[in-house]
Amino acid sequence: MATEISEEQSGGKGIWAALAILVVVNLILGVFFSSGHVSLHHAPIVQLPNFLAFLGVPGTWLPPHIFFTWVVMAILVGVAILGTRALKAVPGPVQNVVEVAIEAFCALLEQMIGKEGRQYLPLVGTAGLFILTSNLIANIPGFQAPTANWNTTVALAVTVFVSYNYFGIRKHGLVKYLKHFCGPMPLLAPIMFPIEFIGHLARPVSLSVRLFGNIFGEESVIAILLSLTWLVMPYLIWLGVMLPLSLFTAVVQTFVFIMLSMVYIAGAVEEGHGDEHH
Amino acid sequence: MPENDFSVWRQMARFSTIGISMVAATAIGLAIGYGLDQLLSTRPWLMLLFTLFGIAAGFLNLFREVGLIQRHRW
Repeated sequence: MATEISEEQSGGKGIWAALAILVVVNLILGVFFSSGHVSLHHAPIVQLPNFLAFLGVPGTWLPPHIFFTWVVMAILVGVAILGTRALKAVPGPVQNVVEVAIEAFCALLEQMIGKEGRQYLPLVGTAGLFILTSNLIANIPGFQAPTANWNTTVALAVTVFVSYNYFGIRKHGLVKYLKHFCGPMPLLAPIMFPIEFIGHLARPVSLSVRLFGNIFGEESVIAILLSLTWLVMPYLIWLGVMLPLSLFTAVVQTFVFIMLSMVYIAGAVEEGHGDEHH
Repeated sequence: MPENDFSVWRQMARFSTIGISMVAATAIGLAIGYGLDQLLSTRPWLMLLFTLFGIAAGFLNLFREVGLIQRHRW
């Protein structure tokens, strides 16, 4: 193999420097801002004062999941604006990243739903990018993930639920869509309809609880781990075990959410009745 | 086709969603049964009936998801 990558080119030193900065910032914030006990509902360090109190929002600070949703929105809108500002045929760096993301989503959509999968890109792409950015933001010291709050994940899951039913009704008509719930034989319809109905209702519940549980659990474990005063051992364990696990879980949970959304959309929209029922 | 991109983790992700969907289906059946019982005061029969519906829905989701995985449609 004739490819020789020098130490500077492969970014080796850059990654170690970034990790060192992460540990130092975390240590400083932990020394100066810790309350001496572990409370999982501790206010994050980066937050805004509550200027929405006149609307009835409680507390002296904005709820962290709302504030960090705005942070994620700012990041996504910023990247989108930067990436589409001066579109060139040979793309610059930000435009390249945006194109790669869109290509990846379109490829998944066409693989799961078929040729007309492309029209569902706004829903699936927005949900996927929002969840990915929200999950990854939790690793920055002082930040909390908005998806670590069940409100955010229920909002996402209910949106997907209403959307896939709407797509199915829009494509097939209400009566024919409800007939999908009735099973292969009309004789079984009184038994199959409640079972299918309950099965469909289980989908937003499982989507929201799965995402919330994974991200909140990850954050809780890291909070408890870093609250131990064991010299630098908690930070070594965090760097070596919990940080890679947290990044991995962030990507996997995004993947599972959007793949399941596409499976539900495909099930609602597909032609040909005999594909799924046995 | 799907198998060439990080396929082991993808299989794990596919199978890991089945468990919680069975639990959620049973819980929803129980919740619907309990709610209807409060409305119609027919304890405990509607609650049991809808719990059975929920368990059946959980198994239906199980078969459907495993079938989709086996046919490489997930």
